[in-house]
Amino acid sequence: MATTDTFYEAMRRQGISRRGFLQFCTITAATLGLAPGFAGRIAEAMETKPRIPVLWLHGLECTCCSESFIRSAHPLASDVVLSMISLDYNDTLMAAAGHQAEAILDEIRHQYKGRYILAVEGNPPLGQDGMSCIIGGRPFLDQLREVAADCQAVIAWGTCASWGCVQAAHPNPTQAVSIDKVIHDKPIIKVPGCPPIAEVMTGVIAYMLTFERLPELDRQGRPKMFYGQRIHDKCYRRPHFDAGQFVESWDDEGARKGYCLYKMGCKGPTTYNACSTVRWNDGVSFPIQSGHGCIGCSEKDFWDKGSFYDHVTDTRVFGIEANADAVGIAAAGTVGAAITAHAAASAVHRIKQRAGAQHTEDGQA
Amino acid sequence: MSMYTGVPTVKRTAVYVYQTPVRIWHWVNALAITVLAITGYLIGSPLPSLPGEASDHYLMGNIRFLHFAAGYVFLVGFLFRLYWAVVGNRYSRQLFTLPFWRRGFWSELVHELRWYAFQEPEPRKYVGHNPLAHLFMVVIITVGGLVMMVTGFALYSEQTGLGSWQDELFGWVIPAVGQSQDVRMWHHWGMWVIVVFVMLHVYTAIREDIMSRQSLISTMISGWRMFKDDRP
Amino acid sequence: MSVQTPNGFQLDTAGRRVVVDPVTRIEGHMRCEVNLDADNVIRNAVSTGTMWRGLEVILRGRDPRDAWAFTQRICGVCTGTHALTSVRAIEDALDIQIPENANSIRNIMQLTLYAHDHLVHFYHLHALDWVDVVSALKADPKATSALAQSISDWPLSSPGYFRDVQTRIKRFVESGQLGPFTNGYWGNPAYRLPPEANLLAVTHYLEALDFQKEIVKIHTIYGGKNPHPNWLVGGVPCAINIHDTGAVGAVNMERLNLVSSIIDRTIEFIDKVYLPDLMAIASFYKDWTHGGGLSSQAVLSYGDIPERANDDSSDNQCLPRGAIINGKLDEVHEVDLRDPEQIQEFVAHSWFKYKDESKGLHPWDGVTEPNFVLGPNTKGSQTRIEAIDENAKYSWIKAPRWRGHAMEVGPLARYIIGYAKGIPEFKEPVEKVLTDLQLPVSALFSTLGRTAARGLEASWAAHRLRHFQDKLVANLKAGDSATANPDKWEPRTWPKLTKGVGTTEAPRGALGHWVVIEKGKIANYQAVVPTTWNGSPRDPAGNIGAFEAALLNTPVAVPDQPLEILRTLHSFDPCLACSTH
Ligand code: HEM
Ligand code: HEM
Ligand code: NFV
Ligand code: SF4
Ligand code: SF4
Ligand code: F3S
Ligand SMILES: [Mg+2]
Repeated sequence: MATTDTFYEAMRRQGISRRGFLQFCTITAATLGLAPGFAGRIAEAMETKPRIPVLWLHGLECTCCSESFIRSAHPLASDVVLSMISLDYNDTLMAAAGHQAEAILDEIRHQYKGRYILAVEGNPPLGQDGMSCIIGGRPFLDQLREVAADCQAVIAWGTCASWGCVQAAHPNPTQAVSIDKVIHDKPIIKVPGCPPIAEVMTGVIAYMLTFERLPELDRQGRPKMFYGQRIHDKCYRRPHFDAGQFVESWDDEGARKGYCLYKMGCKGPTTYNACSTVRWNDGVSFPIQSGHGCIGCSEKDFWDKGSFYDHVTDTRVFGIEANADAVGIAAAGTVGAAITAHAAASAVHRIKQRAGAQHTEDGQA
Repeated sequence: MSMYTGVPTVKRTAVYVYQTPVRIWHWVNALAITVLAITGYLIGSPLPSLPGEASDHYLMGNIRFLHFAAGYVFLVGFLFRLYWAVVGNRYSRQLFTLPFWRRGFWSELVHELRWYAFQEPEPRKYVGHNPLAHLFMVVIITVGGLVMMVTGFALYSEQTGLGSWQDELFGWVIPAVGQSQDVRMWHHWGMWVIVVFVMLHVYTAIREDIMSRQSLISTMISGWRMFKDDRP
Repeated sequence: MSVQTPNGFQLDTAGRRVVVDPVTRIEGHMRCEVNLDADNVIRNAVSTGTMWRGLEVILRGRDPRDAWAFTQRICGVCTGTHALTSVRAIEDALDIQIPENANSIRNIMQLTLYAHDHLVHFYHLHALDWVDVVSALKADPKATSALAQSISDWPLSSPGYFRDVQTRIKRFVESGQLGPFTNGYWGNPAYRLPPEANLLAVTHYLEALDFQKEIVKIHTIYGGKNPHPNWLVGGVPCAINIHDTGAVGAVNMERLNLVSSIIDRTIEFIDKVYLPDLMAIASFYKDWTHGGGLSSQAVLSYGDIPERANDDSSDNQCLPRGAIINGKLDEVHEVDLRDPEQIQEFVAHSWFKYKDESKGLHPWDGVTEPNFVLGPNTKGSQTRIEAIDENAKYSWIKAPRWRGHAMEVGPLARYIIGYAKGIPEFKEPVEKVLTDLQLPVSALFSTLGRTAARGLEASWAAHRLRHFQDKLVANLKAGDSATANPDKWEPRTWPKLTKGVGTTEAPRGALGHWVVIEKGKIANYQAVVPTTWNGSPRDPAGNIGAFEAALLNTPVAVPDQPLEILRTLHSFDPCLACSTH
């Protein structure tokens, strides 16, 4: 029987001490927002668990979710792939191609029926007979449905799989849909973001392996631990927001002092993600820290909410785009003018009426 | 001039319409909505930046606080008004009921519209709301107000957090509408609808006070509807 | 059965048809079909882009200032290059001048992408075409250490270090769960490396995987995240504040130092790990001379990395601009992206519709209208393609042409043009590689030449990073800390109708975005992308593109194992999401 490699063993072989390993577990626990006591459970899980097969499919996408994944610093992507999971299919990284690649899907489906995880990056198009995304000569949709049929759970990586993302933006020429529109009978964990933060991706996997259960999800199917709060709730520029100190124009005094980016269209107040806490690329920065507002990249249909640089978003209603304030001010102005005109007309009317009444009175007199 | 002053001496020329709680509610509500619209607008388009340290100011925080405080007043007032519609007089129920099925209502509505378009020499008399006002009250204040409260508290739940009562009661609104940004957008549109309504409402209240055959503004102060003539 | 293409290639569809779908270790989705003759030599090649998202359709009617974010999502691998191209196109259309610092920071972003993308391509997308992971288990760690120390002074090279890695791989293989290495072509006779070289390469596969995430932190500092950092029409979004209170809210001394240290480490890793490995591996495959394709005939580069801001002239570009056709290295043509005669896209063999498909369209007049139809000789059905009919429409990629020529783009094209122009910083490293490996200049035009050019370019980019970071600091010292020009930010300052073009040299080659702006909104947006050039299907005249040309005449050792096909395709670093967008 083949020996199974545990995460702990892998780390030890890399020259990491037991102390270093436990430290790692503590960091992971902290990243997951768990009490320090959970570090022990993580350590235990990683010392003993064999690797769970993960089939990572790609639909219409840009591969930035895979790219983000390999940026993970804790755990390292190399450790995830070599020691935590068995990444048996990921067309960006896998050695095999063509028939040899497709054979892996069949093998895992049968050998690990009901026990593997399906991870989906990108999404299926329904237009063009599904043939605007072809894998092995067939629509990606078919492959997705087949592999989903026997999996244990589905991870929807990124905004593509979770919400549709850029290809589903108006007018959605390929009729791309989020995966929950075509997979109905499996638990789906949405990990949105364009892309999601690397440590959030590996954190979700580590959580599932450690606690042997799916993370608790919010109403929209996202893990609460990473998507329970808005960027705005934990943004370090928040004091400037509350004070009323805003960047008014690019590279102005406020921009150089790190004022709030709300007036430059920051979508932090409407975006659920962990950027302002976990931050990006091993905690180096996140969009707002580097001077650009959040564009809301983990939110549903964030591409179709007007310009990224307006706070009051344009609305696409009845096929036309309109800005609430522009329309509102115009409407209020028009109504104001109409009222003035109507008031004047009413006054004239009344004077005439009275004059008429006076007339009759005079006549009678 | 005698028409406008003095206690009505003729029978049936004065009716007690708006009970004290309704009147108090009206003016509190008017104030709340004014505060909500102004602070709401400033939340969407904040004032120019303040200089100096962030810790010296709390301008945006105060504006938002006013908004939320007025929002609570608006909600509590609405709930109270709902209660009063049950226990108050028949006119107190108009705000929540629309005689949709009554043909007469619609023909009178047309009549009222024609009066505003100078097509009728004289408006009809109403003890409660005229049909046009009635329709707008129900649609804008009751339905519109509900929309503003539901979307407003859904937005509020975002800061009170998952599991808060605001979240439990109103959190579902966000995915139902789309996402947070959509909720804001409709909440924002709602403000403009209400602003336009208030403009028309105030204008017509003043105009009708002068031109119609009954009192209006004073009714909302004293509660008594005064009729200027005895014709039907 | 045999035909001659106008661009000089012999196609023969007689032999056995082999299908590779999906082609893996690329970005996006691709299918490749080849015909093998009786000796298992490729005599016909068909490259099919198998995905399409319609970004050009989606962009219509949008705010031009938002376009960078949309186009950036064309690809998360060459992340940023589309965004940069897009802001340049908008700035061209609106005649916006950017500050000098913005130019330096943009160059740093672009060069960071080069260093990262090339490194990841070499180790994680390409190496397994040359390196046999299973053979590494047989290596002697001592001998591996000796080999490592003979080619580089990279410190991680002790016998114990290699033994640890080997044990780790052994345990991994013994677990029976091979993960991404499942069903690889291990043991295929086309693998030539001795076990020690394999172990060295596998070790560095893992090291590079851990290191690559460090390089992109430069994007994170200036752009807030990676993949998909943030950009700005008119400059860059990160303000700079070195001296004053509030500096911690902007790019400050600490941030500049962090960038600087990452640059140093990047230079070291590329020069001490990537390049020596590349040379070592290449030395075992010197006689595998296949895959030249179009590279000796027709190459194109737009030039990039402007030394000074707002100067689009050819001599201001650190990467060379020009076109070579008909194999005439002594004549480098000027390229004009505005000239309607020069760059045109055809769709006769693409799943798109034009009014007249015998003609090409310049991108400013470009049309993107999907039309998925299969030819009469397709084997299979509309939704189950067994063999494609390349005489009809057969790809989601359009066919771009320069003055009617199919062109190869990418690092090799850039190096050939730099070499042909006699620019020392391109010519000298090429000559050194050729002498070190004792190869003639003609060896450049091959799969290996492409792979080598990419490695040289990664090193070039890393050193250029240092140059522009230093330049940024020097400019700050001189008192200029501007990063954005907001003068034309408001749409009311824009003309009613205007058009622009923006270009970059993306890691995979020449990239252009053409935009038409009308009343403040995008009226037309067309991208012609490196892999659109390289992966192009045939044009109405029958010219084949770079992928197809490069595959021809390559012998395949085991017909059921597409190792050689992958090798040559991977040498282009195909990006299919880019190519079709
Ligand atoms: C934000 C501002 C205001 C709002 C939202 C508002 C709303 C309302 C509502 C909901 C009613 C119906 C009361 C009921 O049946 O319970 C009403 C009636 C009335 N309001 Fe206002 N009001 C506002 C401001 C004003 C102002 C400034 C005036 C006076 C100039 C005014 C004069 C009246 C009058 C005269 C009535 C009685 C109408 C009738 O008898 O048919 N309102 N208002
Ligand atoms: C007539 C009633 C109301 C009006 C006219 C109004 C108006 C507005 C406007 C214009 C905004 C700015 C939206 C944007 O562009 O972001 C806003 C925001 C908001 N409103 Fe209201 N609102 C009303 C009632 C309420 C109520 C009842 C609540 C409940 C507490 C509420 C809570 C909020 C919240 C939480 C925000 C977002 C503030 C922030 O996140 O900074 N609103 N409102
Ligand atoms: N082809 C291509 Fe790209 C690149 N480099 C971009 O323009 O890869 Ni995704
Ligand atoms: S979610 Fe965004 S980053 Fe991820 S694949 Fe989709 S477009 Fe790319
Ligand atoms: S920068 Fe954005 S997220 Fe941060 S406080 Fe301002 S609006 Fe909120
Ligand atoms: S744009 Fe995306 S990366 Fe984070 S700060 Fe906003 S969710
Ligand atoms: Mg195009």
